[in-house]
Amino acid sequence: MSDYILQMKNISKTFPGVKALDNVELEVKKGEVHALIGENGAGKSTLIKILAGIHKPDPGAKFYFEGEEAKINKPIDATLKGVSIIYQDLSLFPNLSVAENIYIGQDSNKKPWKKINWKNIKKTAERALEELEVDIDPNTTVERLSIAQQQLVEIARALAFEAKLIVMDEPTSALSSSEVEKLYRVVDKLSSRGISIIFISHKLKELFRVSDRFTVLRDGKYVGSYQTEEIDESKLINLMVGRDVSYEKNEKEVETGETIFQISNFSKQGNFKDISFSLKKGEVLGITGLVGSGRTELAQAIFGVNKPDSGELKIYGNDVQIRSSADAVKKGVAYIPEARQTQGLVLEQSIINNISLPILNRMRNKLKLIDRKSEVQLAEQYIKSLDVRPALPDLPASKLSGGNQQKVVIGKWLSAQPKILIIDEPTNGIDIGAKTEIHKLLRRLANDGIGVIMISSELPEILAVSDRVLVMRQGRISGELGIKEATQEKIMSYALNSGNKDESSEVLNEPNQVSQGV
Amino acid sequence: MKELLKQKEISILAIILLIGAVLSFVSPVFLTIGNFLDIIEGNVVLGILAIGMTLIIITSDIDVSVAAVTTAVAVSIGYLFTYLPDSWISVLLLFLIAPVIGLVMGLVNGLLVSIIEIPAIVVTLGTLNIIAGIVLYITNGNYINSTSFPKSFMEFANYELLGIPILIYLLAIVAIGTWYILKHTLIGRSVLAIGGNTQSSVRVGIDYKKVKLFVFAYMGVLAGIAAIAQTAYTKAVDPNGMLGLELTVIAAVVLGGANIHGGRGSVHGTLLGVLLLAIMQNGMILARIDTYWQNVVTGAIIVIAVSYDHISYKRSQDKLAKIEVEA
Repeated sequence: MSDYILQMKNISKTFPGVKALDNVELEVKKGEVHALIGENGAGKSTLIKILAGIHKPDPGAKFYFEGEEAKINKPIDATLKGVSIIYQDLSLFPNLSVAENIYIGQDSNKKPWKKINWKNIKKTAERALEELEVDIDPNTTVERLSIAQQQLVEIARALAFEAKLIVMDEPTSALSSSEVEKLYRVVDKLSSRGISIIFISHKLKELFRVSDRFTVLRDGKYVGSYQTEEIDESKLINLMVGRDVSYEKNEKEVETGETIFQISNFSKQGNFKDISFSLKKGEVLGITGLVGSGRTELAQAIFGVNKPDSGELKIYGNDVQIRSSADAVKKGVAYIPEARQTQGLVLEQSIINNISLPILNRMRNKLKLIDRKSEVQLAEQYIKSLDVRPALPDLPASKLSGGNQQKVVIGKWLSAQPKILIIDEPTNGIDIGAKTEIHKLLRRLANDGIGVIMISSELPEILAVSDRVLVMRQGRISGELGIKEATQEKIMSYALNSGNKDESSEVLNEPNQVSQGV
Repeated sequence: MKELLKQKEISILAIILLIGAVLSFVSPVFLTIGNFLDIIEGNVVLGILAIGMTLIIITSDIDVSVAAVTTAVAVSIGYLFTYLPDSWISVLLLFLIAPVIGLVMGLVNGLLVSIIEIPAIVVTLGTLNIIAGIVLYITNGNYINSTSFPKSFMEFANYELLGIPILIYLLAIVAIGTWYILKHTLIGRSVLAIGGNTQSSVRVGIDYKKVKLFVFAYMGVLAGIAAIAQTAYTKAVDPNGMLGLELTVIAAVVLGGANIHGGRGSVHGTLLGVLLLAIMQNGMILARIDTYWQNVVTGAIIVIAVSYDHISYKRSQDKLAKIEVEA
């Protein structure tokens, strides 16, 4: 018998255009809590989905369960090997009872006309809940439970399946601190009973609290596996970000002018709290933080789609109220969302029609009809200045590459002549050459006097483009760094709150009221 | 949730009683057993179709081709009558043939929805037009009246057991059978599961495509049975007789507490929805309200019921969103 409940070897996964995983391995011992660590986009979720049988790995992948080779082609294969996965968004049925939710899936192999054995369902559910020592009525529907209770139902489901390996994907992200403590105890109990657990989390403290060993992934590659007790936080952060930097760091001192944009004390219940910063002419302000730190919510608040509860906003020193996104555009704020294809472009329409969209009312001739000539002129102007390729104004946006689509989106918003441009994950899903181009473009816009706020998870990108970096964590600004002092390690430690005993982390050590208030 | 459902069903029951009380003042005929049996018998077709539609709506789909499918099967029955010998066996055979014809059409809908993943509203609008067109081409829009019906079928249509028309028993069998499927079989629970959360169902290994195929196929079978009921009740086949009935069917299901976004719905709720619509129509006839106004009232009730449903859905979504945002 092997010491390992699970060994995954040579795991690669190529999505169209992206190599999400490159020769990764993962080994989990029996009864251990194994943490899986990496930045956003490091490949943790992809790896888990491969283990779950939802994604198929590239050829050459090998799976061993308790030392024996096995194939995982579909979800049921993993289930039969004793793997249970608790996704961050849970896999429950809100309209069904707790008992049904615990039992469901156990009979998905059986004939559809088979009679449901209600007694058995109830007995299984009760036994699983008892094992967890939780007091949940198996007859209530799941939608009436709190998130913490729902999570326990998922764990009970795993127990009912007699899982040998339970994967928990960010299980504490929606729990209050007392609920988190309870969850830790459940995890301890499961592992003491010989059940292995793969624990995915961004919270370093938590990983040190629960895990015995951990595996680090970085940019889809395997960094290594370590004993938790052998390592400290700063070393761990090093492992997570210690990459060969792929872009040149922005080192140039820029001449910044007057303050063009300022927000103070922006707060919104359950989103972000006490956010204040300013932006000077000629400057690119990078905002980073983990997914869920409130970056996007903040950007949407500035743009008027996610109204803050309180806070002031100034543009060129004047107090401004932004009531809606249309209002924001009128007042000179442009926002380019992350989901370029669904929110930024009308894919079937030509480049011309996309670029002129925000300012159609300025494109009208004497008869108040849209003047095609000036539309074409405008499009040609931006195609040239942004170097969109191919330079065919009539081409539908869907035919362009990701990088060129992004240029069209930028062109579209530039046509509205914004004073402030907020851009969320500007190079998401764009190949590396085009990324550099977009970076140069953003710098050029800043030099031309537009205030650029760039939100990004990619630390090298933040370092390559920004003049100043704000790091967000759990809805607050946890650190501000000038570009000269900024390093990936420093940014990461602010993003994770790894216990630097300086002033900024004191603020963070307050119980996170924001998340508890939700 | 169960309590909520109960509340919703109790409120429908309350409305039914209220309308009933008003109607019994307006017309002395209303509160008689005879009138009551008439109401139910007159709505057996609506009831059978609504029960089938309940499963589809629980999976958050819709089928607007039901009336056309039912008409097509009814027309087929009408033509079959010229070939079938006049005997009880023919009537029994009918209960085999009609559901199979319906099943074939239901399978077409189901395959297009589940395998090619075209939105159900588009698929069924398409099949609605195709089927209705073919039916009109074949019949020229002409009635097939009861003179060509076998005597045995007429006997079946007029048969009463314990003073209750046979068609009411037919509805009862369909209702109990469907209730059993929904409540006590794996496929029934899968229907509720994919309506509750499709992604979760994929993760626990439910083949949601098969489930979708099933609900549309089952709808087809019930349309076949409804076609027999329709033919027996009207004692004729009218190619235009069920025009627009699909909307009433959907209305009955939604009135009965099913959620158009899926996950919620029950056979008894749907039956209450049918009863509510039926009593209203009956009442308006007894009160001699003009047919046009009857349509207006029915339409208004549908819009109100769906709006109410959607508003409460949006509220629950808002609540969810707050939990998800973790700052």
